[in-house]
Amino acid sequence: MKLQDVDVAVIGGGPAGIAAAIKARETGAQNVVILERAEKMGGLLYQCIHNGFGLFYFNEDLTGPEYAHRFVEKAMDTGVKGLPETMVTGISPERQITAVSKGEGYLSFRPASIVLAMGCREKSRGALGIPGTRPAGIFTAGTAQRFVNVEGFIPGKRIVILGSGDIGMIMARRLTLEGAEVAAVVEMLPYIGGLIRNEVQCLHDFDIPLLLEHTITRIHGEQRIEAVTVARVDDSKRPIAGTERRIECDTLLLSAGLIPENELSLMAGVELDAATGGPTVDETRQTSISGIFAGGNVVHVHDLVDNVSWESELAGESAARSAMGGKGAQGKIKLKAGRNIRYIVPQTISGQNKVTLYMRVNDMEEGVRLKIGNIMSKGLRVVKPSEMLKVELAPEQLEKLKEGTSEIIVDCERRERK
Amino acid sequence: MAAKEKLICVGCPMGCLVTLTISSNKEVAGITDNKCKQGEKYVLEEYQNPVRTLTATVLTRGSLQPLLSVKTARPIPKTKSLPGAIALAGLKVRPPVKAGDVVISNLAGTGVDVVATGNLLS
Ligand code: SF4
Repeated sequence: MKLQDVDVAVIGGGPAGIAAAIKARETGAQNVVILERAEKMGGLLYQCIHNGFGLFYFNEDLTGPEYAHRFVEKAMDTGVKGLPETMVTGISPERQITAVSKGEGYLSFRPASIVLAMGCREKSRGALGIPGTRPAGIFTAGTAQRFVNVEGFIPGKRIVILGSGDIGMIMARRLTLEGAEVAAVVEMLPYIGGLIRNEVQCLHDFDIPLLLEHTITRIHGEQRIEAVTVARVDDSKRPIAGTERRIECDTLLLSAGLIPENELSLMAGVELDAATGGPTVDETRQTSISGIFAGGNVVHVHDLVDNVSWESELAGESAARSAMGGKGAQGKIKLKAGRNIRYIVPQTISGQNKVTLYMRVNDMEEGVRLKIGNIMSKGLRVVKPSEMLKVELAPEQLEKLKEGTSEIIVDCERRERK
Repeated sequence: MAAKEKLICVGCPMGCLVTLTISSNKEVAGITDNKCKQGEKYVLEEYQNPVRTLTATVLTRGSLQPLLSVKTARPIPKTKSLPGAIALAGLKVRPPVKAGDVVISNLAGTGVDVVATGNLLS
């Protein structure tokens, strides 16, 4: 395949990129290529050795490597071309891609369509702004995961984890099983940031202390981290004076959220949504620039890889159709976040086709009713920022839309209790 | 005398703190505070026989890849997670290993095999 003939170029060979590329081939695109900066395809799944992947997509409980393997095999079977060790350095609004590749040298080509599948990265200490010294021994949970599960190093003996995201809780269990002591998991909110299953199976199973409504106010140590000061926080998340205490540790892991990785999207001039941190997309996952699509964690941070795969398949299918001269979604109805809704993806729909909406709330609430304008209403026992809401709108429901509707407001309302 | 036991249901994001009433002969006499039926089934299993799939890595020899990821072929009793991990810490595997190959049988007396979840090339 000559790069000049590429129909669909996928940026990133993680679960999103692979799923998009496979679907693009299956939809009929001839030449589909994945540009991946790491040595092999599969992305972060290879370091997520725990199980819980694929429960929905495959109806099986798989580990990360197993889930990745199935997709990588399928990509090879369907004739997707993978270019590993290839770093995309730029995308222009006209879809001109420039990249440097270990195998191919400098590359510059213009595919018929592009799928952005760069995924996300972890918030670092800088993004969190914790005061104190700057010693060694502070890692993001994902970096520690790579050390422990891929490279074979244990980052320390006595560990504090800031943030109760899923990777943090999973690393708490993993490090305990590898012989380290997890002194505490510190969470600013009154509830955990990840899934309940992980709180029970990673923290409770091993009696790992969870400090809710606490934060780290200082890092101590000169060469290597020696301790952190933790304090209780008030309702507005400010540390309460007098509640400080010192916890000795030689390692601090940060598990305080993920940010979609969109430097390339910005270079291409793709419009980003401030709430998701990712491109605004229509129901086909086309971005604000025609011929550029996006799927997976680059669009918004998912909690299940199964949804990443599904969403990226949609992006891959649309990219293939666009490359083959098809028309995209017609008409744009804006979905607007109302009460206790942080974001909705896609940001616009056509109102003509069946569509799945992914949403997150701002705050935890019990006994609520989710209302999609006047077309759908659904009672929910509980909503949490950490659990993505997924709602399908069927064509019959969309028929309720009035002619000329330009905006639908999505609200999460309080339900009156009996 | 009936004892009370509390378990968090992980069946859905609600995470109900479910109360089990345990009779003197260690039988579950009652389940309350679960907001749905599914929770009843979960806590009963979790009380009587809590099991987990153990995932880990094992060291390799004769490969550029330092570790191989593995899992128990079936869930094992929760109390066997740590003994299982300790048993795996002493293991070294040599290539070639394919995903699904057994790397150790009868982990820590559970009767359950540990299988590779990735490939190991030399
Ligand atoms: S009991 Fe029902 S409602 Fe409560 S956590 Fe379990 S599944 Fe959810």
